[in-house]
Amino acid sequence: MLRIQNLSKTYPSGTQALKNVSFDVQDGEFMVVIGLSGSGKSTLLRCINRLIDPTEGKILWDDVDITAAPPAELRQIRRKIGMVFQQFNLVKRSSVMTNVLSGRLGYANPWMSLIGLWSADEKKRAIDALDRVGIADKAGERADALSGGQQQRVGVARALMQEPKLILADEPVASLDPVLSHSILQYLEQLNKEGITVICSLHFLDLVHRYATRVVALKDGVIVFEGSAQEIDRAKFKEIYGEEAQEVRAASL
Amino acid sequence: MARKRRKSAPPACETAMTASSKPTISALPAALLSALLPGLGQFSARQRYRGVSIFIGFLILTMMTLWYADPRWYFSPVLVWLWNIWDAARQARSQKNGFLLPVLVGLIAAYGIGWQVLQIDFSTADMNRATHILRPMLRPDFIQERRETNEMWVEIFVPCGTDVPTARHEMDGKVAIATPDCAAVLETVIVNVSGMWPNAETEILWETPIGNARMLGGNEDAMLVQNTDENGSLTVLIHVPSLALAGAPDPTLSLGHRVYFNQHRPIGGYELSFVGGEVLKGALVTIAMALMATLFAIILAIPISFLAARNLMSGNPVTMAVYVVVRTLLNILRSIEALIIAFIFVKIVGLGPFAGMLALAFHSVAALAKLYSEVIEGIDPGPIEAIRATGANWVQVVRYGVIPQIVPPFTAFTIYRWDINVRSATIVGFVGGGGIGFLLIELIRISDMRGVSAVFITIAVIVIALDYFSAKVRERLV
Amino acid sequence: MRRPTVLRITLNILLLALLAVVLGVSWNVTEIDFPGLISNLPNGEKIIKEVLSPDLFTRDFETATIEIPFAIPCGSAPDPIPPSSGPRLIATPACADEKTSFTLEGFDLSPNAEIVIRWQFPDGRILTATRTTTDADGHFSTSVDAKPIASAVDGVPSQLQVDTNVSVGNLKTSQALQDVTREMFVTIFMALLSTTIATIIAAPLSFLAASNIMRRGVVGTTIYYIFRSFFNLMRSYDPLVMATVFAFWLGYGPFAGMLALTVVTIASLGKLFSEAIESIDAGSIEAVTATGAPRLHTVVYSVIPQIVPDFISFIIYHWDINVRISTIIGYVGGGGIGYYLSQRINTFAYHQAGTAILAIVIVVWAMDFLSAEIRKRLT
Repeated sequence: MLRIQNLSKTYPSGTQALKNVSFDVQDGEFMVVIGLSGSGKSTLLRCINRLIDPTEGKILWDDVDITAAPPAELRQIRRKIGMVFQQFNLVKRSSVMTNVLSGRLGYANPWMSLIGLWSADEKKRAIDALDRVGIADKAGERADALSGGQQQRVGVARALMQEPKLILADEPVASLDPVLSHSILQYLEQLNKEGITVICSLHFLDLVHRYATRVVALKDGVIVFEGSAQEIDRAKFKEIYGEEAQEVRAASL
Repeated sequence: MARKRRKSAPPACETAMTASSKPTISALPAALLSALLPGLGQFSARQRYRGVSIFIGFLILTMMTLWYADPRWYFSPVLVWLWNIWDAARQARSQKNGFLLPVLVGLIAAYGIGWQVLQIDFSTADMNRATHILRPMLRPDFIQERRETNEMWVEIFVPCGTDVPTARHEMDGKVAIATPDCAAVLETVIVNVSGMWPNAETEILWETPIGNARMLGGNEDAMLVQNTDENGSLTVLIHVPSLALAGAPDPTLSLGHRVYFNQHRPIGGYELSFVGGEVLKGALVTIAMALMATLFAIILAIPISFLAARNLMSGNPVTMAVYVVVRTLLNILRSIEALIIAFIFVKIVGLGPFAGMLALAFHSVAALAKLYSEVIEGIDPGPIEAIRATGANWVQVVRYGVIPQIVPPFTAFTIYRWDINVRSATIVGFVGGGGIGFLLIELIRISDMRGVSAVFITIAVIVIALDYFSAKVRERLV
Repeated sequence: MRRPTVLRITLNILLLALLAVVLGVSWNVTEIDFPGLISNLPNGEKIIKEVLSPDLFTRDFETATIEIPFAIPCGSAPDPIPPSSGPRLIATPACADEKTSFTLEGFDLSPNAEIVIRWQFPDGRILTATRTTTDADGHFSTSVDAKPIASAVDGVPSQLQVDTNVSVGNLKTSQALQDVTREMFVTIFMALLSTTIATIIAAPLSFLAASNIMRRGVVGTTIYYIFRSFFNLMRSYDPLVMATVFAFWLGYGPFAGMLALTVVTIASLGKLFSEAIESIDAGSIEAVTATGAPRLHTVVYSVIPQIVPDFISFIIYHWDINVRISTIIGYVGGGGIGYYLSQRINTFAYHQAGTAILAIVIVVWAMDFLSAEIRKRLT
């Protein structure tokens, strides 16, 4: 279980991205975070694996305090938390295989990985992961030779390599068209059914209804809604998104 | 072009001067102001850009003519000044006015003065001399026919002394005899040689005891060439050359001088000529110089480039200060050509390729560090974040997130720099930095245009080949 | 795409070995000698220090001399009574015996000045004793030997004289600065004229080397290939290499350098121009051709408007390069700041060389800035 307690984040520039945010995520949930851009979704997700250090508050994962973990322990925690990004964050000039293998860095022998040597077992894992997302044939190609949807599948495969118990997905489909969005989210849904907890930020209402088991809504760094996906209707959605809701809906249709 | 500019900046331009923005000044004061200080009238009439341009243009023109101090050119700033007064009045009345007149006057003055300053004088371009330079260049001294030489000599004593030995020399079945056995300068000697190759051209040459060769043909300025008969014999009348005793420590001392007979014949095939060999050696040194310079430049430029990358250094005032200092130094160093740095290194470490290599390395450090730092500034933070998120340690983050992003552009820039360095290595050689450039200067100095031509061909081959190679590599990397 | 691992590793090892050999050979032929560099560094330090303090301004100097009598041996002449203010010299002790030494101090002289200390013997002859500099307060202190030759004669002691250079008048530009300014003008004119002449010649020629215009028929294709290869060949020479031959032909002077620069610029601009012509939009040419316009009209109405912006940016780019090269072409061609600089360095006049280098840095920077500004305005 992941417990987020009184989490706050203030950037050096003075922007207060999160204000006293608290909620729990049960194991096996598909939790969706919604909110306007700038509402603190990305900051929240990045605080969970401490890519960003929170200013105040605690994050407890199975009673281990992530916020207080020393560097070595933090890396142990991070390798159990997969992450998928809006801009895919692949190393564009490296091969797809290398990108997927890099998901294994938390487990690999540091010296062998330094000179780029990977065990046969790790290579097999990588091919299997690519196979799961349906692009095993692209393993030898450069990452930037792939289309956007394919790149995001590489991103998912990289997260799979970590054998994660939790996946953080930061707007994983915002750069993709609706059809591709569903295919990526279906992979996440599949993983979720296999027992991996998923925390995902989204901003299309229909996607929220389709995939979320629970929803947290942020506005200006404060939680304004917490509940099941069904409780969120258009009116509520408009309240969270304000005037932009029309646009968002239009885009999702 | 002019059309474009008007479109892009409508409010500041004369075409857009309509009733909406009336000048604040009337014609007479504007003209007076401009008479006082060129451009001031236009400036006051809300034509700021125009006013400043006129002022700077007038200043440059005036400085130029005053510097050249030839009264004939003083008309140009005066003309521009007059035009500027008239223009100020027109601007104040919101009338359109072109820039043609002052630009034309300025250009005429600039090119006229430039023409005189540069001592451009096409009468010095002597076409006769050009042919003399170009004709040998059509036969580059690279390779020559392989040939064997048949050599014979006889010793004659100059001037006559006591106990002069007989002027007869036998060698490998060849006999050379001179009569008389001794002679004074400009006296006649009959020389006979037999046993040489029959019916072959034979060069006849005088050699003094200290090893200086003297010509015997023409007015002692051409090679004397005779043919042997069908038996391989040759008899020739020669004068002891007037310079036979030049450089001799004691002209009265009777010493043995030699008359040489040289025959050559091709034995098939070609070989590298002496100059050709030197050219190839020079080319090797030049390429090696560029290679080593690039290598040392890489080693120094990589750490420096991190200090010159804005995204890494903008954290706090101290690092920002380091960034500014490093950037400024790099920019200064970059604007000094490698040749100038080579001047100084030659003074420090002496003549030779090492000095040239150091100069090239110095210049390249500045150029490469700037390019590298731009690569670092352009790094995508996304993959780094993604790799950190997998639980990788910082060494792994650098290895998998940073290095794959910077190595290909670094390599491309480095090869590009090597390409440039090979070109620069040629000219760095001029100041004594060794390599093909040094050879070129030496060949020019002794007017060996065939050798110069060989150098030119080699440079073209190297440069074009490298251009092609580096373009290919960059194509694959980027 | 995957080769057998063994083959790949062998290939990589071979490549590395080749690289090692190439680097080893290069190291050797380059005559690399870092110990030599380090042992020569003190030598270089002096040069660089002088280059970094360029000769820009001077003042007129006046030499001021003050003196005191000094008795050798003691008692051979009366000791002087030193003044208590103003520029003055004080010897301690005030007299000395032969072959001993004493301390000479000066007060209230001009600060940070080079001074010469010398003896004037009773018979008027002069012997320089030592040189030193004053500190910021105009004070110096140095040890002087009382040499027998400076002994007093018939009760007349030798005089100790100190020369100080006192600057008078205002700062004025040094000779070096004036020379450098003049040579810099020549240099800029060199770049200006060579770029202009090269543009005038290269612009029409570039059409002959553009494939989309010329590659029609045997004659056109032949001309295309001739000009293409000419441009490519000439472009491969550094202007300085070209200048060696031009200077040999025309004699030393700015003209030779300018002409060499022009020839290389023609080739380089010709190539760039022809590529710009090749990249123009074929559609608009078709449109004009379709109206039944003759070939020349096609060029005037459809080609030229498309290429002018490219041409201008190439010209500015080359103007930039040519300014840089003009600063050094004088070394082989004669004339301009390059010639001045090489002469100063050859005569070890590093302060003046520093002035020239400073001028080069400023001008290259200014031109860089100017052309960047112009390009920004044009695009």
